[in-house]
Order: sequence, then C-alpha cells, then structure tokens
Amino acid sequence: MSFRFLYQTVVHPRKVVKDLGDAPTPQYTAATLHGSLQIRHVDAGSCNGCELEVTSAFAPVYDAERFGVRLVASPRHADALLVTGPVTKNMVEPLRKTLEAMPEPRLVISLGDCAHNCGIFNGAYGVEGSVSDVVNVDVHIAGCPPRPEVIVETLRGLTGR
Amino acid sequence: MNVVYVVTVGLAGLIAAILGGALPLASRVGAAVALTWLSCGAGIAAAVSVLSSGHVISLSTTAILPLTGVTLVLNPLGALFVISISVVALASTLYWLGYASHGLDTRSASSALPLFVTSMLLVPFAASVATFLVLWEMMALTSLVLVLTDQSRREAARSAAQWYAVMTHAGAAAILLALILLSAHSGGQTFADIEAHARHLSGAVRGTIFVLALLGFGSKAGAVPLHVWLPKAHAEAPGPASALMSGAMVNLGIYGIILVGNELLGGGPVWWWLLVSLLGVVSALYGALYAATSSDLKRLLAYSTTDNMGLVLIALGASGLFGAVGRPTTAAIAMVAALLLLINHSVFKGALFLAAGAVQAATGTRDLDRLGGLMRRMPVTGVVFFVGALSVAALPPFNGFVGEWLLFQGLLHGLPTSNTSVVISVAVAVAALALTGGLTVAAFVKATGIGFLGRARSIEAAEAHEAAITMRLGAAALATLCLVLGLVPMLVLPAIERAAASAGRVSATSATGGWISLHLLGLRGVLAPSLLAGGLAIAVLVVIVIRRLTHRRSHAWPAVNPVEPWGSGRKLQTARMQYTATSFAEPLQRVFDDVIRPSRDLDVSHFVESRYYIERIAYHTSNDDVLERHFYRPFIASVRWWGQRARRLQNGSVHRYLAFGFVALVIVLVVVA
Repeated sequence: MSFRFLYQTVVHPRKVVKDLGDAPTPQYTAATLHGSLQIRHVDAGSCNGCELEVTSAFAPVYDAERFGVRLVASPRHADALLVTGPVTKNMVEPLRKTLEAMPEPRLVISLGDCAHNCGIFNGAYGVEGSVSDVVNVDVHIAGCPPRPEVIVETLRGLTGR
Repeated sequence: MNVVYVVTVGLAGLIAAILGGALPLASRVGAAVALTWLSCGAGIAAAVSVLSSGHVISLSTTAILPLTGVTLVLNPLGALFVISISVVALASTLYWLGYASHGLDTRSASSALPLFVTSMLLVPFAASVATFLVLWEMMALTSLVLVLTDQSRREAARSAAQWYAVMTHAGAAAILLALILLSAHSGGQTFADIEAHARHLSGAVRGTIFVLALLGFGSKAGAVPLHVWLPKAHAEAPGPASALMSGAMVNLGIYGIILVGNELLGGGPVWWWLLVSLLGVVSALYGALYAATSSDLKRLLAYSTTDNMGLVLIALGASGLFGAVGRPTTAAIAMVAALLLLINHSVFKGALFLAAGAVQAATGTRDLDRLGGLMRRMPVTGVVFFVGALSVAALPPFNGFVGEWLLFQGLLHGLPTSNTSVVISVAVAVAALALTGGLTVAAFVKATGIGFLGRARSIEAAEAHEAAITMRLGAAALATLCLVLGLVPMLVLPAIERAAASAGRVSATSATGGWISLHLLGLRGVLAPSLLAGGLAIAVLVVIVIRRLTHRRSHAWPAVNPVEPWGSGRKLQTARMQYTATSFAEPLQRVFDDVIRPSRDLDVSHFVESRYYIERIAYHTSNDDVLERHFYRPFIASVRWWGQRARRLQNGSVHRYLAFGFVALVIVLVVVA
C-alpha cells in the first residue's frame, strides 16, 4: 500500500477526478442521455467483488453521481441496466424480466470479467452463461473486479460529463 | 286528476305488496315491480303537477285512520323529495328484477319492498302528525324487514337489524315527542294548524321541539353521533334495498329537519342552525374518514352517505344562519345547494349501491381485499361505479360537482356578516368541506382502484360474471342521470328553486340561467357546466391531435404496449402482491390514529426447532366505529348490567310481589296526601 494511496484515502481524502482525455466512444450518444444516466443494478450471480467496487464508485471518494449517474431502486426508473457476475440459472428469468420492465430506449452495461465470460465460474453447474448469452450487452466494463476509476470513467463516457 | 295520482300512489303500492306476498315465485317479483312503477309514476306525475303549477295537492279522509283521519298535502318541497325518491325507486326496482334470485324473491321481501317504496313516497305527502308518524313507522318497519333478508345466512345481518331497530325507534320516539309537543301547543294535529300557531310559542318550547326533531330526523339521516346503525344496516341490506335506503330514505331525515325547522316552526334563532352546521361538520368529517379507511365496499358507501348528509346539513345550517342574520339571498343559495346536494346524492349513491350490490351478487363478498380486476369481468357495473365515484368525488362533468360548487359559493360569499359566531362557523365549515373533499377522493380512488382495477384477489372475483341485464340497466340509468345532471343542472334547478321557496323562510330567487350557464343572483358566481365539459373534451382532443402530429413517425399514440406488472423480477407473480384496500388506507389511518384508534395486532409464531425461523406472521387490524366502541357499547353494557340487577326483584315469590304492591300503594297514598 503506497503512501500516496494512504494519504489520499485516509489523511486527506479528496474526490478523485481524472481528466477524461480520450474517452471511450459512447454507444448511447451523450446527446440522448442529456448528461444523466439512471442505473438499475442486477446481481446475476456475482461473488460480490464487483458490488464492492460499484459501491465504492458511488461512495464519496469517487462519487459517480457528480457526473450525472445515479443508482435507482426500480427498473421502471432506469435508463441502463448494470449486470454483474455470470448469469446463474435462477437469475435468467429475473434478468430478462428486469430488462423488459425498463422503458425504452435502454442500455445494458455488463460489469466485470465474469459478466463477460463467466470467469472462474465458467462451466459451473449452476451457471447458464455470460450476460451477453441472455441479453444484448451495449457496454462492457472489464476487470476482476474493475477498479472504481474505470467504472466512473466508463460511465462518464456515457453521460458525456 | 291530482287526487287520482295520490290515490294511485297508495293503492298501487298496497296492491303490489299484497301481490308480492300472495303470488307464486314465478310471477311475484314481476307483478310487484310493475305496480311499484305505477306507484312511482303516479308520484312523479303528482309532483310534476305541483312543481309546475305551484298549487298544492291536498286530500283528507277519515276513512282510513280512525279518530284522526289521514291528511295528505303535497307542496313543492315534498314534491321534490317525491321525485328524487321515485327516480331511485324506479331504477332500484328495475334492478330488483335481476337481483331477485339472490335471495330477494321471498314472500316477505317481495311484499316489504313495494310497501317500503310507497311509504317513502307518501311521507312527503303527510300533513298531519298522525299520518306522518304512521307512514314514518311503516317506512322504518318495512326497511327493517329488508335488512333482515339475509339473516339466515349471515349473523351480521341480524345484529345490523337490531342496531337499526333500536336506533330508528329511538329516533322515532324523539320525533313523536317533538310532534306531540307541537300539536299540544297549537291545538290541532294538522300541519296547517301547527304552522299557524307555532310562531307564537315561547322560545324554550320551540327550541326543545327543534332539538328533539333534529335528533330524531338526524338519526334517520345518519348524522354523527346517531349514525351507528347506518354502516351496518346499509351494508347488510340486499342491493336494491340498500340503494333505496341510502339513496332515498336518508333524504327523508333531511326532509324532516326542513319540515319542522323551516316549515312548521318557520325558522329559528342562530343557535339552532349553528347546531345543525356543527352536526353537519362532524358528520362530514367522520363519514369521510371512515369511508377512506373501510375495506368493506358497502360499509364504505354507507359512511360516504353519512359524509354527504353532513354536507347537506352544513348547507341547511348555513341557510338557516344567513336567514337568521338577515341575508335572504345567500340563505336561498345555501338552501338550493342543500337540496341540489341531496338530489345528486340520491342519484349517485343509488348508482353506487346498485353497482356494489351487483359486485356482491357476482362474487359473494364485499371485502375489497378479496376483489380486484372487476372492470374487465363486469364492464358495465365497473363503469357505473366509476361514474358514481367521480360524482361523489365532486369532479366535473358529473353532478356532484355542481352541488358542491353551489355550497362553496354560498358559504364563501356569505362570510361578511356582523355576527361573529356565524363568521367563525362558516369559516370552519369551509375548512371541513375541503378536508372532507380530499378524504372522499381517497376513499373512492381506493374503492375503484382496488375493487375494479388490478388483478383479482380471489377465485370468486376472478370468475365473476356481469350482472343480469335488468340490473345493468337500472344501475346504468342512474349513472347516466349523474352525467345529465352534471351537464345540465338547469333541468332540476327551477324545481329546486320552487321547493326552496316553499320551505318557509327563503323566498328570494337565487340562481338563474339558460341551458348553458348558471348565474347566482347577488353574487358574481357563474358556472357553465356544459361549457366546462366541452372545454375538457376539446383539451383532450387537442392533446391527442398534437401527439399524433408530432409522433407520427416514431410511435403510434396512444401507444399500446402491454407489459407485465413489475414484481421484482419474480418468476411467479400473485395477485396478493398488489396493494390492498387496507394497505392503501394505512397511511391515512396512521395520520388519524388518535381519532379512529384502530386496533392492531401482530402475531409471530416461530418454528418449534428454532426461534430464529418464523413459521407464520398474522396481522390483524380492525377499525370498528370509535363511537360505537367508546360510547354505545359501554352504554349497552351498563343497561344490561342494570337489567341483570333488576331481575333480582323478580324471584317468582308471590309474597314479595304483594309486598311490592303494598309498599307502592303506601308511597302513592303518602305522596298524594
């Protein structure tokens, strides 16, 4: 653990803002989102590592809400669905239903390596497949788990803020 | 000719009752309905002739009631009530044809229902104390028989009938006392004699008479705190009977108050009308609050009746107040508002009770928590209920709106007077009206939303079938009338004006207008209900057109995109996951916790193996009437206690009884000496 990290998180906590530089090309144009993205998160079978990082991304240090991103409590309120983990057999139907419950136009973001290719759960008896096997994925955030900076950066790419 | 109408009302009703009791099952309801229609038709004909010509109909005979004779006089006020009762009765009896097979085709019911209608029709005709009391009692007894219709199947009906019998007879006793006092002080028992002498009575006697009459008639109108019978009896009475009781019989309670207060006594001091307004404010708030928290469909409607009668009493009280402080124009407006509210209430509450009766007939339950999704299964009944709910919530373009608008106009414009108590009470009444309006909307959003929308909460509701054609016709007729009276209140307004003028004190014309708009004389109030409705329709059309033009390419509009209700992504969704009537009312109940004091009970039972695992959770809540719980039940218990004490006096010993007689004799002798 570096001194700088300790300094930044404990001694002098400061919100992390990075210059975006070359932002990832948004699938969803920033114009249609108007700088605001409401996200419904579904855990399709994650080990909860990704959840910790999502929590961190929305916690005071990284504070993704500054950039117009919010986690909401119902798919009815959401623009985007954030899916973590491989999709377990029991979560196939709820995942589909959650997506159906969302108003259009809508966006699916898969988060973490397991969501992409099932990771270490690949081939496990309870796993149906990756997120893209069940629903169409628009944006992927890689990492096991992805760092909060990466999450925030991708989301900023979507909101354009 | 007019006398023929009056005789027809009575005779047709009587023959209907006899045929209903005598004919075999196949034909008795049909015959009774046909003759009741004849009776109602004659009543309407008589009333229309009185209202259009302004001449009263009178008929007097000594052939029927020995010693006193029968005196029947129909004045414009009575005529208005006859019309409102007839309209509800016509629709309800038509409905009865279809409803009869649900236990309302017995001899007793087929005989009692026509007799009930006829006695209600004749009460406004009564013009002597004896005639009035006989007809009043007949109305009470026949409706009691109707409340008891389902008593073999439901214990609750028996208990409701007991409450009804006691309360209505306590009320009748108060009315009896008031009328006897009146006739004793005026040396005659016809209303004409009384009217001539009543003005010369002392203030104390007049006050006593008015309070007694207010209590007696108030209990019939369901005014709080004399309302306890109403949510029980109106809920337990079968469909057509409950529509008649709530749509027509309660009106006669108000009629009685106007009769004694305005006609016989010719108006009174400010405190009488403050008392009436107070009764009205309490009834309106209490009724609306309980309607908003009830989960029994018909109990909700019954409490809403109490609420509406409260509004009428407020208007009546305001009219008396303005009359007493010398503002005849505002007094006239308030009186017209009272009568219009009453007529509107008859129509929409009749429709609502008929629809609720159809729901009960189709599903066997009145519990909103077990209904749901009925709009799809019973579209006509659902629409009727919806229209009734909009009317009762006083939304344009339905009739409830016009009445409440008039009441608000009367109250708000009546404010500047020199009498402080009048100003304060009117301001309080306006505030109470606003709260009542809000609570009523909550109650009917609940009744319609939980009962008719969403998904069925029980198998019975899921398999409900639309009511018989006559039931639908009867209910739909009243619903149509809600819309017609809302669009063209001028249809009835001249009649109401005339009736209000005949009700004693108020003689000024208050509102005029052509077919389109309604102008209040002396105030700057103008209302054009049909233009309002037209504007509403045009606004909706404009929105539709604009949406179509702008969204032509991307989406058709209104877009039909059926989606499953969101249930947290569960695979299996049940109807139990919906809001229930109880849960919908829960926040409101919590706000008014101190007033209605509901009892709540949470039972959690654990598994025997481990108390960390819950086997079942049971939540009980009941919101019995708080007045019943904290006033009537203790009173009944104490009466019962004294009754038990009194039994000790009777131990069967003849010697003791002789001793009682001897002691009593001695006491009497001592007192007399």
